[in-house]
This record gives sequence, structure tokens and C-alpha cells, in this order.
Amino acid sequence: MEIIAGLLQTSILAGGVLALAALGEVLAERVGVVNLGVEGLMALGAIGGIATVIATGSPPLGFICALGIGLSVGVIFASATVILRAYQVLCGLALTLMGTGLAATIGKAYSGKPAPATFAPVAIPYLSEIPLIGHAVFTQNILVYLTYIVLPVTLHFIMFRTRHGLNLRAVGENPAAADAAGIPVQKFRFWYVAAGSSLASGAGAYLTLAFVPSWSEGVVAGRGWIAVALVIFAGYRPINAVLAALLFGCITSLGFVGQARNWPIAAPILSMLPYLGTIALIIVPVLAWHRVRRLMAAPAALGEPYYRDVR
Amino acid sequence: MAIRIQYFPSPQPAVALLARGLAIVLALVCAGLLLAAGGAAPLTLAAQVIKSTFGSSFGLEDVGLLVTPLILTGLSVSIALKIGAWNIGAEGQFYAGAFAATGVGLFIPGPTIVILPLMFVAGTLGGVIWILIPTLARAYANVSELITTLLLNFVGTLLAYYVSTGPWLDPGGHALGTTARVRHDVPEIWGTVHWGLPLAILLTIIVAGLLNFTRWGYEVRVAGSNPQAAKYAGMPFRRHLITVMLLSGAIAGIAGMLEIAGTVHRLQGGISNNFGYLGIMVAVLARGSALGVLAGAALMAVILNSGIILQTQGLNTSTVLAITGLTLFFTAIGDELAHYRVVRTEPAAA
Repeated sequence: MEIIAGLLQTSILAGGVLALAALGEVLAERVGVVNLGVEGLMALGAIGGIATVIATGSPPLGFICALGIGLSVGVIFASATVILRAYQVLCGLALTLMGTGLAATIGKAYSGKPAPATFAPVAIPYLSEIPLIGHAVFTQNILVYLTYIVLPVTLHFIMFRTRHGLNLRAVGENPAAADAAGIPVQKFRFWYVAAGSSLASGAGAYLTLAFVPSWSEGVVAGRGWIAVALVIFAGYRPINAVLAALLFGCITSLGFVGQARNWPIAAPILSMLPYLGTIALIIVPVLAWHRVRRLMAAPAALGEPYYRDVR
Repeated sequence: MAIRIQYFPSPQPAVALLARGLAIVLALVCAGLLLAAGGAAPLTLAAQVIKSTFGSSFGLEDVGLLVTPLILTGLSVSIALKIGAWNIGAEGQFYAGAFAATGVGLFIPGPTIVILPLMFVAGTLGGVIWILIPTLARAYANVSELITTLLLNFVGTLLAYYVSTGPWLDPGGHALGTTARVRHDVPEIWGTVHWGLPLAILLTIIVAGLLNFTRWGYEVRVAGSNPQAAKYAGMPFRRHLITVMLLSGAIAGIAGMLEIAGTVHRLQGGISNNFGYLGIMVAVLARGSALGVLAGAALMAVILNSGIILQTQGLNTSTVLAITGLTLFFTAIGDELAHYRVVRTEPAAA
């Protein structure tokens, strides 16, 4: 039983990185913008976060700093894709290359240094005393609660239970109709893309301040891309995205358990699991359940810039 | 008479070309400013780069070695784009090709004249196998090939790392984390530059010929610019998509094979200097033209080589990746702005 509890604890911790990044991507894609820069944003957040903590010793400050970096870079990305309406796929790839390269260049000086302070686990009274799973689930750091409970519930409520959320989804489905109804399409897109980028960088800081916790080149290791894939798998819904991320946390922690218990499979092979798992999970559902496709479909205007004057 | 800025559905080629040039210059200026902010002297560095690249045959040979894989990965991404597919997985296919070629080179005994072609075939097949699942998933289930090809990059990198540190680790050598030397070399043509370079150029010309002068190429181009029209005209869109994507993977696999047999001779973890990712840049710069692929690859090779020369100054291939990203970003913006034209409008008669 202890193994399962341990597995659950690691899964939740590992899945949180993906959950935070995936929530950010949900925000961007729901207003109709594909942000393929998540990987780069995470790298920038990861180095920004740990550099701040090494300088100040305060993990919350590091996390906030990463959110700030993400927001600034997100504003640049949104200016290019929403205001100038440049090709989203290309801008996203560019952002990934820039972020990964820049973070690795800056990170040379920080390579291998452990974070002097990290987000410590906080036990929730009573709940953490539930037998078997209580300790694993309710003795996590504060970012975990934020990522798994506060953020997805808030976002779900805003998206599906408020007028603002209806407008938000309209912008992603049919910007021309939304525009005609008086919804400020460009404003919605700009700020939600920027906010989503901010969360992506936050996920990077989560990685170096709560999960790994140190910087090394390639520490993000494709998690940004897995997050983008998760959003498709989760049908662009915040709560589904978090659950999908947890599932991926399980796959990742299975690799850790394998290494720790000396399974006769080499570590690099176990490290392939999350990538292969992601590919399987975005292909299989489409083949298996044709009817799910409509329900889980992407926002209709995803990836298309909106020109008011061109019809 | 009034002047206004109007959006046109198709860009002006001259403006787009100008925008590309500007994007590269802007990105280099930004990189220079960042370097200056970090305490380096950009102009001195630039002089150093130009001197060590063009001032000696060694510098030019290095560029010649780097340009070969870049032509091929650029061609790989470029041909997939022709039919509207994003092959972001050239990096993984490169590793798969290198892996397969190394396997043949190390473990099949025989004279080089037999083994080298076998390695070529193995490299090609490695690339094809690496893109097979993303291709079928895109063709039959409409799963985004962009994400699946990309995720396989990490698997390919891990595979090369695994075999070169594990089962294929050089048994006799002191080198850590590489396989034994593959004893079948692509012959050299000029200094250290091998016959891979003319081969890459030849492949580019052949692919360009196929695309521009055959019925197949015509149908691929139509399918790429308007899939609906292609289907309506009875062109087998799915079949073309599959062949083009597999061809794209094959070309990236060949790049990996040539890197093993021509340049590095050993499989190791970081054998690809981000060639797959830089290939995206080459393809985008080329705007779908074969000549453009060659020019784009030459430019990227010089930039990559500069990064390697400046390693002592705290630069590295990551910095090159960042500069590439910046160039790509400015290029994307420039491409969009090329759609706008300043037009004069006559006021309506009162």
C-alpha cells in the first residue's frame, strides 16, 4: 500500500507541472489562438524562478517573478499574433526556440545549483489524516492545491457559468458573430493569450521550485508540448485538463518508481514513456469513439486570425 | 484623394523578401545588443567570426560540414509544408536515421562499397519509420502531425542516448557515451567536406524537379494550397499526404545517416546540433523554393558555425537556437505585414 501512496504523491506533484501549463493553453485556445510557445515560456519561467530564489531566497517571489516573465513575453506574443495577426504556428515555434535557447544561455551560470528554498509541503488539517491516501493527497505544497483545485474550479466557473465566459467562448468559436454582438474580440484574445502565457511560465517555476528542484539544460524536456497535446485530449476543458495532467503524472512517476526499484528496463527507455503515452492518448480516443469527437472538438476559429474588414 | 493601408489576400513577393532580409538583420542586431548588454563587444566578435569563417579553408570546411544536414532537414520540413503538413520532427527522424545507419555500420560485416549503400537504405528507412505513425494518424484520424512528430523527437534523442551509453557503448575506447567508430566513411571531396554535400544538393534539385515538372508534383502543390479543391478535382489527397510525409521523414533520416558516415562517425547523445529545429527555419526562409532551401541552409550554417566559434565567449548552440527563434519571430511578422499595401483612393463623386 505504501508504494501506491508514494506513487500517488509523486503523480500529483509531477502532474501539476503539466496541469498548470495545460490550463494556460486552454485559456489561449478557447479564445482561438494556438500558443505553441509553451515549451519556451516554461523554460524562461523555470530559469527566472530559480534565479530569483537564488538571489532572494523566497520561493513565492520566484513564482510571481516567473508569472511576470510569462505575462511580458505573452504580451509580445499576443501583439504579434492578435494585433499584427502574424501566423500563429510560426510565432509559437519561434517563441519555443527563443525561450529554450535564451533560458539555456542564461542558465549556464545556474546549472546544477539546487534551489536554496523550495515550496514546502503543507498538511491540510484532518484531510491529511485520511488513511492510505490522505497523506499523499493532502500533504503537498501550496502550488499543488492552487493548480489542482483553486485554478481549474475558478476557470470552469468563469468559462461555463458566467456571461463573461460565454463571450470568451464565442470569441474562439465565431469571432465575427461575437464582434457583431459587441464583444471586444481582440481585447479578449490579447489578454487571455497573455494570461495563458503567464501560467505556462508559472509551470516552469513550479518545475524548478517544487518538483526537480534545480535548473539544468533541457529540464523542461518537452513538458510544454505534452501540455499542448493534453489540451486536445481534454477537449479544451479546464477540469478535464487537470485530470489528464494527473494521468500523465502517473505515467511519469511510473518511470521514477521503475528506476528506484531497479526494474530491468534502462532509465532512458522509461523516460520515453510520457512522450509515447501522449502520442497514444491523442490518437486512440479519436479512433475509438467517433462520437466523442464532436463533443471534444476544438474551438471552431482556433488558429484563425480575425480580420474585421476582410470577409 | 486619400491614402489608406489595405489588407490584400496575397502578399507582395518583393516586400516579403525584403521583410525576410530585415528580419535576419533585426534578429542579429538584437542578439548583438544582448551580447553588448552582457559585457561583450559585438563588433569585435563579428570580426572574429568573419575572420575564422571566411579567412581560412578550415572555416569554410566547417560551414560545408554543417550545411549538409541543414539542407536536408530544411528540405524535409519544406516538402512537408508543400502539402500543408508541419514536420517538426526532423530532429527525431535525424536521430532515427543516424541510429539505423550506425547499427548497420557497426554490426554488419562487409566491404565499405556494400555497407555504405546499406547504411544509406537503413538511414532512409529509419526516418520513414519515425514519421510513419504521425503520418497515418494525420491521414486517417486527422491528429495534428505537428505535435506527434515533435514528441517523437524526444524519443529519438533518448534512443540515441540509450544505445550510445548502454548496449552500443564503445567497448575498446575511453570515450564516454559514444559508440565505436563506424568504419565506413563517405569519401571526402574537399578537405573534411564529404560527398554528402553534393548529394544533398542533388536531392534538393531532384525533389524540386519532381514538384515542379511532374503531374504528382502539381497535384501535391494543389493539395497543399487548397485541399478542398484537390479533393473536388479527384486528386487522391490522402495518398499524396502519406507519400509526401514519408518522403519528408526519409530525407531527414538521410541527413542523420550522412552525419554518421560523413562527419561524426560515432553515434552519441547530442549528435544533432538542433539540425531538425534549424531545418524549420531553413524551410520557412526558403518559402517553398529549392534554391531557397540551399540559400537558407547556407545562411543557417554560417550562423551555427559562428555560435560554435564563439563558444569561448560564453556562446553556444543554445544561443544560436535563441537567435534562430528571434529571426523566425520577425519573419512571421514580416510575412503578415507584406499583405498590406498603401493604396490611394479617389473620393466618391459628390
